[in-house]
Amino acid sequence: MNSHDGPGRWIGASLLRKEDRRHLLGASTFVADVRIPGMQDIAFARSQLAHARVVSIEKPQGFENKVYTLADLGEIRCLDAGPELATFRTVPYPPLAGDRVRFVGQTVAACIAPTRAEAEDIAQEVLLTGENLPVVIDAVEAIKPGGATLFDGWQDNAFIHATIADGDIASVANAPIQMRRQFKMNRQATAPLETRGVVAYWDERLDELVVYSSTQGPHLMRFGIAQTLGLPEHKVRVIAPDVGGGFGGKNRLMPEEIAVAAIAMKCGHPVRWIEDRREHLIASVHARDHYYDFTLYAENTGRVLGLKGELFVDAGAYSLWPSGPYMESSMAARNLPGPYRIEHLHVETHTVATNKTPLGPYRGVARPGACFAIERAMDELAHELGMDPVELRRINLVRATDMPYHTIGGLILDTGDYPGALEAVVDMVDLPAIRARQKQGESDGRRIGVGFAVYTEQSGHGTIEWTKRKSRVVPGYESATVRMLPDGTVHIMVGILNHGQGLETSLAQVAAHELGIDPSQISIRHGDTNATPFGFGTFASRSIVFSGGAVARASSILADKLRKIGAHLLQSPVESVTLRDGAVHAGAASIPISEIARAGNIRPEMLPTDVAPGLEITATYEPPDSGGVFSYGVHAAVVAADPDTGVVEILQYAVAEDCGTMINPMIVDGQIIGGIAQGIGTALYEESPYDPSGEPLATTFGDYMMPCAPEIPRIDIRHFVSPAHNTLHGVKGMGEGGAIAPPATIANALSDAFRDIGAKFAETPMTPRRVSEAVARARGDAV
Amino acid sequence: MTVTHLTINGETISQDINPRESLADFLRERRNLTGTHLGCEHGACGACTVSLDGMVVRSCVVLAVMCEGRKIETIEGTRKSEPMDVIRRHFHEKHALQCGFCTPGMLMMARDIIARYPEPSDSVIRSQLSGQICRCTGYAGIIAAIESAAREIRDAVE
Amino acid sequence: MKSAAFQYSRPETVAEAVALLTAAEGSAMPISGGQSLLILMALRMTMIDRLVDISRLPELRELRDDRSDVFIGASTTHAMIEDGKIPDPSTGLMSRVASRIAYRAIRNLGTIGGSMALADPSADWPACLIALDAEVSIAGPDGQRWEKAEDFVSGAYETILLPGEIVLGFRIARRQSMRWGTAKVSRKSGAFADSMAVFVEAAGDGLPRAALTGTTSHARILPRVGKYAQNRSILDPGDLRAAILDDLAEIVPDADAYQLRCHVATVSRAITDARAS
Repeated sequence: MNSHDGPGRWIGASLLRKEDRRHLLGASTFVADVRIPGMQDIAFARSQLAHARVVSIEKPQGFENKVYTLADLGEIRCLDAGPELATFRTVPYPPLAGDRVRFVGQTVAACIAPTRAEAEDIAQEVLLTGENLPVVIDAVEAIKPGGATLFDGWQDNAFIHATIADGDIASVANAPIQMRRQFKMNRQATAPLETRGVVAYWDERLDELVVYSSTQGPHLMRFGIAQTLGLPEHKVRVIAPDVGGGFGGKNRLMPEEIAVAAIAMKCGHPVRWIEDRREHLIASVHARDHYYDFTLYAENTGRVLGLKGELFVDAGAYSLWPSGPYMESSMAARNLPGPYRIEHLHVETHTVATNKTPLGPYRGVARPGACFAIERAMDELAHELGMDPVELRRINLVRATDMPYHTIGGLILDTGDYPGALEAVVDMVDLPAIRARQKQGESDGRRIGVGFAVYTEQSGHGTIEWTKRKSRVVPGYESATVRMLPDGTVHIMVGILNHGQGLETSLAQVAAHELGIDPSQISIRHGDTNATPFGFGTFASRSIVFSGGAVARASSILADKLRKIGAHLLQSPVESVTLRDGAVHAGAASIPISEIARAGNIRPEMLPTDVAPGLEITATYEPPDSGGVFSYGVHAAVVAADPDTGVVEILQYAVAEDCGTMINPMIVDGQIIGGIAQGIGTALYEESPYDPSGEPLATTFGDYMMPCAPEIPRIDIRHFVSPAHNTLHGVKGMGEGGAIAPPATIANALSDAFRDIGAKFAETPMTPRRVSEAVARARGDAV
Repeated sequence: MTVTHLTINGETISQDINPRESLADFLRERRNLTGTHLGCEHGACGACTVSLDGMVVRSCVVLAVMCEGRKIETIEGTRKSEPMDVIRRHFHEKHALQCGFCTPGMLMMARDIIARYPEPSDSVIRSQLSGQICRCTGYAGIIAAIESAAREIRDAVE
Repeated sequence: MKSAAFQYSRPETVAEAVALLTAAEGSAMPISGGQSLLILMALRMTMIDRLVDISRLPELRELRDDRSDVFIGASTTHAMIEDGKIPDPSTGLMSRVASRIAYRAIRNLGTIGGSMALADPSADWPACLIALDAEVSIAGPDGQRWEKAEDFVSGAYETILLPGEIVLGFRIARRQSMRWGTAKVSRKSGAFADSMAVFVEAAGDGLPRAALTGTTSHARILPRVGKYAQNRSILDPGDLRAAILDDLAEIVPDADAYQLRCHVATVSRAITDARAS
């Protein structure tokens, strides 16, 4: 269905971004910039107790009608969140605390005032009296019998115990090499620079609730808000204005969205809540928090046969709608065999409730943890066998000739040359030169190390995959409406959201390719449920595959219509005409698209009799095989580490990656580098720890370390291009890949730097303290 | 409330200001200058960077009442002005922004860096950008844009 | 994250400022750059009834070069020191220290006096000024007094300032053939120090001074390290380490093994840095 008679110059062009201008002028509109007359601010009173039975919530005197507790919100129907599995325990997550609070930061009451400062004054005086309950803080301990539970009637604290297994792990029980290891990827925040925020009011003219929200998926949020509040959906409009980054953390229905929407219908004026950074760090979506304990089974040659063990995911206090926390555990388990030809897998997963902030998706979802665990284990195995870690990977990687390869985790790796990418990064970092430098030693006493990690990134997965996950919402397609206006310019309405991914540009490129016009003639519209066709939003590296496909399909259907009208106006047979350079051509004759658009929209008498007037097409798209397509890459890092202070510097970072056909290579590189920067944050800096009483310890950017320009090295990229067989233009999603491999890569580099003393790097982030302690432990010094 | 006189983007105003109001909140909520963004409100992210008497400051950790008699310039005040238009163009060409939330603060800082270091090296740019958080780009485009904008501005002077 | 309400005054003279601070009902605090204080207030970790804006008082902006010593007014910003816009008694040490405090936009407003008066246990200036053996000029209801920087900070967020007193500035002696070095460990660029050491020595001028900050308490001199380094051009790493650990046992008895490793590293490197110059 591709229109190959177009000029073809837009697919693969590093077109500068159409969306830059408003941001560069400081003229964008984020949710905090929305101004609705009469709007007042909301501040939430939040629980300072980690786990308590609520005895009373006292409103400050004189402000009773400015403070809303759960009882004041009216009927709220908390949605079941998590997979539709009988074994998954669903629990309600009320927008404001009910009879129990389960983590520090949970919303207790909403306070309204003309300014945020005054609203905080009121919130400060709201008094929550609770009867303290035992605090559950360690996911491994939390599922031992007899302990305290977060929810009445639960035997232990697991949302779900589930086994992911295939092959026959018993068959490798006598393997000559059996290596058991533990790895931990600690909890972190998602920390987009724009926090979340909600503005809500009742629009009397349209008779609907309007909710501006900094969300990645306005249509899904409309569905969720309407269901929760018991409103018919045609009375709810959700608008995501400019959104300042999401990374997964803005893709869940959150208590504040529901509370603010509910209050807007009760208080008689528009209300606004803008999350502050402390709220973000303690009460927005948290991420990762995996603990692995497994054994690798291998031959003496280094050939890995099987993997058996346990995975604990600390999911926090509640399950977030729609997907809940089991997605994290199941994806991590299924990705644990990595890109390797491992034939036996047995992973028992435990998705555990604790008195911490609820867990949700964050760029890479599950896979940074799985990659950290398997890639660290591969290096450890290489060390055990006295092999070079690169050599061990050569032996085990899925090869180009194996494609499509069914992993033991149930994923179908479609196209690519994984060993080729490995050799490319080995070449990029000049491995022999690093080995020579290591022999020489550093004059400043630091140690140099080089590490590698391989990852795959599932993207473009639709109905098959999400159904397999028992998802309550199956994001199996996207839609697009392409509307050509009477002068030949084009509006395209899409159901996904652009919040930094450059989709206002790349989707215009996709449409321009089909329509034979310049992308500057095309505007992409998104984010308003009243203005765009239904869609699921931007997450899971899905937008270029799904929305790109929908835009291409709708554009292609429109292009056929333009050719038909053009042929008629040129008095030529439709088979003889082509559409390119803004015109329909028949031999030497041509007619500009603007003429065709005029005929199609406002001069129906000029149309052929078998062509209906109007130039608007809506189409949906899902790839023919919706199990997903796989981008992949190999990362390499060279680090210098101070053995005493534990300070780590990244000297060099190289990537060989393959995301199939690139629509806009500039944007692709931007996504890779940005993803790696976040991965470096996970690897070295970012952590949201709790003390044993459930008190969050990283509550500002003074405690929560965000990587800045000095922390992020130059990143060298080499592209491989193995187009997907299964998507339009052969594209694969690639938004998350960069964030997956850095923790493993950097840990392997540190491990290499201290290989002689056997220092163990098994936990992220590898802060100066952790690195120094790992070295001290290996040296037998005091830790 | 304290009556305060200050100049914002060339316009001198006098306004009653609540002492607890930060300069950022004053600009955004009282003057509707929403190009100045708030990313942390505790001086750690740089999104709210504005110019105060020619110096870059974090407007979230400045009290508006303390700006008596001072000159403030926000991103809105830099529209159609040199050298910011040059810097803006290089940000565009080097893909120095993705979601755009850090961009106004980043531009204010970039102009300041170029003013103080006409020939900034990669390491100078990196260390001067410390504390300006960009969650999207990994900084590569921003560093490249500042480097090339500085070169163009330098060449124009010579 | 908005500050609670407070009163604000902007006095014209030091005497007026002192009077306002003394007379205030409830808590009163002077504000200059506000780069730490306003953050604590926005987080509502510090609640203050009255802020007295001392940022424009001329006495606090004074810079005097008296050849034998230099006076630096308390309102001098980190950026002014970083940019060499003050008479420098430290042959570049103060500029180096200033350049590594937080971020440029913070340094443009943050002041040396505010940093000392707040006495954050991880702040850079206390260690630097103690190493330079600076004296602090203090004005208060009972007039003006001088105190040694070393005695001025007395604990985490604790100084010897009495209610109503403000810091006017610092007197720092010029030394002959001064050598200095500094080293810092932090979790990332611009973050508060987990350990920071400053080492200063000068020809024929008493003991070399090694100062350490980033502990749970306040910046302190390491006397045994100074004594050990005196008149010894080649230092034995083992002996130096022993001297540092002896000092640390006294000044940071609660330090864990990691903190000790960091402190040993920064103190040693500050000395190496000084001797390499």
